[in-house]
Amino acid sequence: MKEWILISVILPAVMGVCLLLASFAENVKRSETVNRKNRRRDRQTGEQGTQFGLHCFVGIVLALSVAITFFTAYGGEKSLVLFPLVDGIPVAFRTDDLSCFFVTIVGIVWLCAGVYSFRYMSHEGDEKRFYGFYLLLYGVLCGLCFSANLVTMYLFYELMTLTSMPLVLHNGSREAIMASLKYLFYSMCGAYAGLFGIFFLNRYCDTLDFVAGGSLNMTTVSGQEEMLLVAVFVMLLGFGAKAGLFPMHAWLPAAHPVAPSPASAVLSGVIVKFGVFAMIRTVFYVVGPAFLRGTWVQYAWMTLALLTVFMGSMLAFGEPVLKKRLAYSTVSQISYILFGLSLLTPTAFSGALLHTAVHAFVKCGLFLTAGVWIWQSGLTRVEELRGIGRKMPVLLWGYTVLSLALVGIPPTGGFLSKWYLAQGAVQSQTGVFRLMGPAVLLVSALLTAGYLFPITMNGFFPGKTQDGSQPPQRKDPPAGMLVPVLLLALAAVLLGVIPGPVTKYIADIAALVCR
Amino acid sequence: MDFVQNLPFISILLSLFSGPLSSILNAKWAKRVNATVISVIGIFSATVLFYVLRTGQEFVYLMGHFPAPWGNEIRVGILEAFMATFFCLIMLLCMFGGIAEREREIEESKQNLYYIMVNLLLSSLLALIYTNDLFTAYVFVEINTISACGLIMIRQNGRTIEAATRYMIMSLLGSGLLLLGICFLYDLTGHLLMSNIKEEVAILAATGEYHIPLLVSLGLMSVGLAIKSALYPFHAWLPDAYGYSTVSSAAILSSLVSKGYIFLLVKIFYRVIGFSVVCDSKVVDVLFVFGIIGMIMGSVNAIRESDIRRMIAFSSVAQIGYIYMGFGLGTQEAVVASVYHVLSHAATKSLLFVAASGITDASGGSRNFLDLTGAGYRNKAAGIAFSVGSLSMVGIPMFSGFISKLLFAQAAMGHTHKMLPTLIALAISTVLNAVYFMKTVIRLYTPVSKEMPIHEHRVIPLTEQPVKAGALLCFIVLNFLLGLNSEPVIRLITAGLAMFD
Repeated sequence: MKEWILISVILPAVMGVCLLLASFAENVKRSETVNRKNRRRDRQTGEQGTQFGLHCFVGIVLALSVAITFFTAYGGEKSLVLFPLVDGIPVAFRTDDLSCFFVTIVGIVWLCAGVYSFRYMSHEGDEKRFYGFYLLLYGVLCGLCFSANLVTMYLFYELMTLTSMPLVLHNGSREAIMASLKYLFYSMCGAYAGLFGIFFLNRYCDTLDFVAGGSLNMTTVSGQEEMLLVAVFVMLLGFGAKAGLFPMHAWLPAAHPVAPSPASAVLSGVIVKFGVFAMIRTVFYVVGPAFLRGTWVQYAWMTLALLTVFMGSMLAFGEPVLKKRLAYSTVSQISYILFGLSLLTPTAFSGALLHTAVHAFVKCGLFLTAGVWIWQSGLTRVEELRGIGRKMPVLLWGYTVLSLALVGIPPTGGFLSKWYLAQGAVQSQTGVFRLMGPAVLLVSALLTAGYLFPITMNGFFPGKTQDGSQPPQRKDPPAGMLVPVLLLALAAVLLGVIPGPVTKYIADIAALVCR
Repeated sequence: MDFVQNLPFISILLSLFSGPLSSILNAKWAKRVNATVISVIGIFSATVLFYVLRTGQEFVYLMGHFPAPWGNEIRVGILEAFMATFFCLIMLLCMFGGIAEREREIEESKQNLYYIMVNLLLSSLLALIYTNDLFTAYVFVEINTISACGLIMIRQNGRTIEAATRYMIMSLLGSGLLLLGICFLYDLTGHLLMSNIKEEVAILAATGEYHIPLLVSLGLMSVGLAIKSALYPFHAWLPDAYGYSTVSSAAILSSLVSKGYIFLLVKIFYRVIGFSVVCDSKVVDVLFVFGIIGMIMGSVNAIRESDIRRMIAFSSVAQIGYIYMGFGLGTQEAVVASVYHVLSHAATKSLLFVAASGITDASGGSRNFLDLTGAGYRNKAAGIAFSVGSLSMVGIPMFSGFISKLLFAQAAMGHTHKMLPTLIALAISTVLNAVYFMKTVIRLYTPVSKEMPIHEHRVIPLTEQPVKAGALLCFIVLNFLLGLNSEPVIRLITAGLAMFD
């Protein structure tokens, strides 16, 4: 049943579009009655009922789509050719191990953030529009995961940018619009750099379809290697824009603070991963790691990744606004993954994929936690969080576990992924990077501890407060917000405690692509 | 001879004579006659297209049955018939899209004059497409210029008269250069009929005789038509002409008039000079450079513009740059890409102009960027159409603009010197396009905040202008057709260009 692929893309997308139309109609009606005095009262009545209905609808659609997606992904290999875009380049879908891996991460994160947003979004307003784009984006991401060739991937990559942008500009303030334009600008530049490379690859590859290990036609390439290397490097830089790689990372700290927290959570947890995904597809499935091994592109890529790891951590360390701090942390952590990929060895590749999963769960959880603090008390800066552990102990415990996973302390998943990354670096034949890589990772891990743990410490042990001896009342966040965070923390720990199935799955992919 | 072969000539005569007919009718009837004529000609052209596709051969129609050197010829191949059909379709949609504005902006007594101009314009466009005689082409270029001027200044305010004057001066300069080029060519070859000239030029090129005069003539004709179609440094007339005239004029001017000249240039390249001779000359390199500069400078100017109509007008400059860049690449594939871009841009730009007028209507007639806040909610059809047009212009996959960019890039691949500049220019221009078009779309869908003065805003329901909404819907469908189903169109263009040789 290959049509399931199409259903898993179209169902959430169509439902999302329906919600968008509903929201659009509402906005139209509002602008029609803009002069009427009592429009405020009109909006108030019946708000509760419709919102419950909306949440039910979104929840059911989301659960159903995730179920269908998983069913599609794990129900055997399927492929589907939709229609030819231009001669010889069709829009086509296929499920393989890598797409299953990514689509699983997307599904889990989407469900958690979705459940969380039911409570959170009630104070942001315009929920229909948010959920419309949320569902639409899920469909687009499924399409991106399942795409079978570079052009289809590019198509969904652009659509991903366009449908995720409204999540950033949700509150419509001037800042949000500027931030989303910045996001759009960086993403478009990146995507076009990617497209630029696709044109080259179209000439030098047998096919643009994804073939594990690459499909470069060496007879066409001979004599043009340097040109092709430049093209691949441009592609890496371009897709790196989405992944926050060094020269193109500036959109992350701008976009995250203005977006609603569930949106930042999926942006940081999932969307940036698709920059990584596009790089994996390009390097390991089209160009082939053998072509890049030992070239200047590999070293440049590695250098940029390490530079970003270090720089992101340093910036996060000095950043007082929590969401911005987490955004810089994403910049740094994604480059762990990119460093792992750039080593082009199976072990490092496994580490990179594992870190993709760990970071997706952890960063999503951390942003959701930050969101709770904003939602409940309007706290955005780190120093305002002093004593937060008295107020919300359970949540802070969740935060602590997530931080432990991100820093990489056993037995969490972060330890395992970083272990693989370091192993891969030491085993690789990359000269000075063999030792420099692990060293940078270690320093950055220390910095990570340095910017995450103070919140826990000051949260539980605020020390003496000046204004009064009365300890604040305990006020846990509602279960709808707490449970997703705890689940994500649990997932991050489980990845480290029972890693067997996942590592085996990843190792199979790695063995296949790193020939 | 089949009866169908008469249809191109009948189409030209029909539109030519419906012009004078409109002058004695009142506005209402002139409008009806105009719409009927355009539709009938569209159907005729479609019939001719099917005929040519079925026979698989071009045909030549001798006017008055006088053979070549004395008589005048019409030549119809796949591409000509297709272009004629497409132009009629776009023109019809542009006319429908701008009905309300025309009735509001043009004096009652002058409305039938407008339809005279449109009919004349259509006849000259058809003649430019079909003719096989270089001098006839020149004559109709002049008719085209005059009627376009009329379209610009029929909405009478100071800006349009200034714009029309500018347009007149630049256009006549262009026609003058074209005429000079034709004179040179006549002098060299002794012919005015395209196929005869081509034979002579082939001999001249083979022997290397009169190399310089031939080059000069080619250069003059290219530059003349480039001025008329607003290639970058010669674009000064464009923003005012497109920005201040009534909306159907702007849409027709940007999507048809300039494209007619471009099509004539394609014909000159293929049917008069011979494409291999053109590629050997340095003229294509010059066009390439100007095209690339235009792609970037047009977008830069558009970004700086805060008037939505002028912004779209500047975007035209950039898109014309794409087309000339395609000519400049000098390969068959690149010309296919250029012709495809002619279609895609015609469909998109007229869509944008019509949608923009709907948007400004909903914002109290103001075209200033800030006043357009939330207009997408007030005029739904126009808002959606504008978003579609913008996405297509930016080059998002599934829209027509992406396909033309893809074709350009594929054509550029493997070119020794021009590959990198082309790809880089494409990338830069795309990002610039994204900046100003997405900025506008976001502005359209930003809800109005309470501090803003909202008294001028007006909600336009779908039922208020059903014709315009219908036209916009057709434009959107056309865009998706070109974007999702490009294969047959590309095949048509390729087959048509093959017939040119």
